[in-house]
Amino acid sequence: MKEEFLLGNGAMALGLLEAGCQIMTSYPGTPSSEILPEMVRFSKAANLNTGIEWSVNEKVAFDNAFAAAISGKRAACCMKMVGLNVAADSFMSAAYIGNIGGFVIISCDDPGPHSSQTEQDSRMMARLGKVPVFDPASPEEAREMIKTAFDLSEEFQVPVLVRPAIRICHARQNIKYDRLESNMTKAEFKREPSRWASTPKFRFMQHKALNEKHVQIAEKFSTLTPYNIHNLAKGKHYPFGVVTGGVPSSVIRDLFEEYERDDIPVLKLGAPYPFPEKLSDEFMDACDKVLVIEETDTVIEYMLRDKHKTLGRLSGHVPMEGELLPEKIEMMLNKALLDCALDPLSGSDCGMEAFGLVGSLELPIRKPTLCPGCPHRASFYSIRKALPKAIFPSDIGCYTLGINLGVVDTVLDMGAGITMASGFWNAYIQDDVKKPIVATMGDSTFFHSGTTGLINAVYNDARFILVILDNHITAMTGMQPAITQGDRVDGRKGNAISLETIVKGCGVEYLKVVDPYDTRHMIKVVKEAAEHVNDPDGGIAVVIARHPCVIAFKDEAIPEKFEIEISDECDDCGFCHLRFECPAMVRNEETEKTEINPVLCVQCGVCLTICPKNAIETV
Amino acid sequence: MRTMNYVLSGLGGQGILFMTRIFATTALNKGYNILGAETHGMAQRGGSVVSHLRIGDAASSLIRAGAADFLISMDESEAYRHLPYLKKGGKLFANASSDAFPDERVAGYLDKMQIEPYAMEAGKTAMELGSPRSTNLAMIAFYSAFGVGPLSADDLRATVDNISPGPFKEKNLKIFDTCHDVGRKIISGDLYGTF
Repeated sequence: MKEEFLLGNGAMALGLLEAGCQIMTSYPGTPSSEILPEMVRFSKAANLNTGIEWSVNEKVAFDNAFAAAISGKRAACCMKMVGLNVAADSFMSAAYIGNIGGFVIISCDDPGPHSSQTEQDSRMMARLGKVPVFDPASPEEAREMIKTAFDLSEEFQVPVLVRPAIRICHARQNIKYDRLESNMTKAEFKREPSRWASTPKFRFMQHKALNEKHVQIAEKFSTLTPYNIHNLAKGKHYPFGVVTGGVPSSVIRDLFEEYERDDIPVLKLGAPYPFPEKLSDEFMDACDKVLVIEETDTVIEYMLRDKHKTLGRLSGHVPMEGELLPEKIEMMLNKALLDCALDPLSGSDCGMEAFGLVGSLELPIRKPTLCPGCPHRASFYSIRKALPKAIFPSDIGCYTLGINLGVVDTVLDMGAGITMASGFWNAYIQDDVKKPIVATMGDSTFFHSGTTGLINAVYNDARFILVILDNHITAMTGMQPAITQGDRVDGRKGNAISLETIVKGCGVEYLKVVDPYDTRHMIKVVKEAAEHVNDPDGGIAVVIARHPCVIAFKDEAIPEKFEIEISDECDDCGFCHLRFECPAMVRNEETEKTEINPVLCVQCGVCLTICPKNAIETV
Repeated sequence: MRTMNYVLSGLGGQGILFMTRIFATTALNKGYNILGAETHGMAQRGGSVVSHLRIGDAASSLIRAGAADFLISMDESEAYRHLPYLKKGGKLFANASSDAFPDERVAGYLDKMQIEPYAMEAGKTAMELGSPRSTNLAMIAFYSAFGVGPLSADDLRATVDNISPGPFKEKNLKIFDTCHDVGRKIISGDLYGTF
């Protein structure tokens, strides 16, 4: 027996392997990214030969795992919740078709949001796709639920969704585990075109069959302890109860234990859909009022269908947006109890006074920023210098932080840097205006969903510059290997894909590759690219700004070091720390000049060309 | 034992995850259950980093405002930012100069909440001992001198000894012992480090 202080994502990786998952696919995205590498670690340590891959995007990941599941193997895919949007087409269809080997989708939610563009609740997607869903309350529970999810998936031949929220994924817990045993089954795909390739007429039948399965699963979920459970005393009636699930259910457990409130019954729904009517009816019948505390949307609240008894988001007792932090939950319980003329948990102001005091201190605002030496900073500087009046559609990755340098105007979703660039072009050219447009996109995002947009733009003769920021890694989500390098998650070599080949294959004729550290050269290249875009016989221009990530490849990224000093020419204009935004540049409040922070400076030397007063020099 | 709640705060690059690991490993070795919550992704690029650590049998990973027993911060501003987490009678340990700590604007609140603030220049001390990146170790050692919470100074020191890689072992233990002594001197009144 071993014990580790494991990340929730590690606990889930363990659960997947303990459940006998043979094929696992994913595309990285916070807060899901560590599941796959943790699975590789556990699988290797036990010589399991699990098939694990980073796929090009979430839809690709989904389909790859699904094929294994209909070949009879236990398979899974994981992603962040907005990744499930990318895989939604497959997700909806797979629910109708069903599977043979257990098939589990893990979609990690980000209430807050901390690192995402929405706060969407994957349980809503489960309802939309008619896929049973589990909502774990702790890393340990997530690990166990995954095994139940596989069993359920096999018993009813339906995909099952597990949706851990960020406080599961990025919680850590001491987890004990035994040596993992291999229990591999052989792939055996049985041809059955009426099922696996069903036409609309058969789809209707499959939909009907799925609905019938849901009746049985709802029945099962009503007795699925300990995930779905209440603590009502037999025959007792209560003025107030709480219905909850997932992360908030743990917070409520801690609060009720600390304040010794065993007078308030709790219905915990860790498997809320298909809705366990029988269990919830028992609870609703025993309570005069219930407060529904769930993250992030109104899934349980709507399914309870009793607005006279139910307090929650729809009654204004629970905020419609944001993470349900423990102090917020304490506050909403206090208010709901008082509204029901009952004793609150506490007279505490739940930190309100202290948060007010902290707000009045005007502490330094620490907004997210690119790292010192980041090649993206150099690229953004050059792009802005070359075409200051352009529209700058961008995308999702570290380089979203180019917003601080004024070179990111839009961020919609993965791939929209390119599709919105062509959209802007179309909107302006209709008015006979040739608007300069520079799109930026990282290498990983380009492979994820850039190519279709680029092919479309070439085909429809849109005109813009696309700068692909190629740093040889997927950095923001924790340094996953890049397709261009050919490294795979388990350390084996894959076949590296050349960006140049793909770009040319999309029909782009104008392609330049630059090192963004050489800002003078890059400015020149971007200006030349603009000429090509404006030439009636020209077209889309692609510039690959290629320089390794300074965190992942420290030595390669900075082959030559420059020790920097600021001369007396510095007139405190602030360009280097406010606009160029290098974290290693700081304003000395006394001398009213810029200084270099030697601990943060990586000596990349990019700043040597950027000072408007030429005050940045080598020692 | 009731759950003991630690909020650890600092800036990106100061090694807050390593700090969490030292506490967690020590707690594990003593047979306690632990739950923690970390910062990753875009949020991590922000400079302000916090780690919640709950030693005992808690169900949820986040510490609620007003419930932390200890706030240990590697940066003075970050100490103030996370002040609302400290409970009444909690203890605050900050990497700050004791002359100007705590900020007079929070002194009244600390008084009212009976929060004891302790400061040492952990970053400066680590730098002087030749390990500018060991503010995290310095703060653990400083905290350990006060003998509060379920993990003793000997337990924490043993973990540092066990998990420091060979070439860093001696240096790390020296930082630990030096900063532990600073804390001891504050308690005995030989050094000024409190309000």
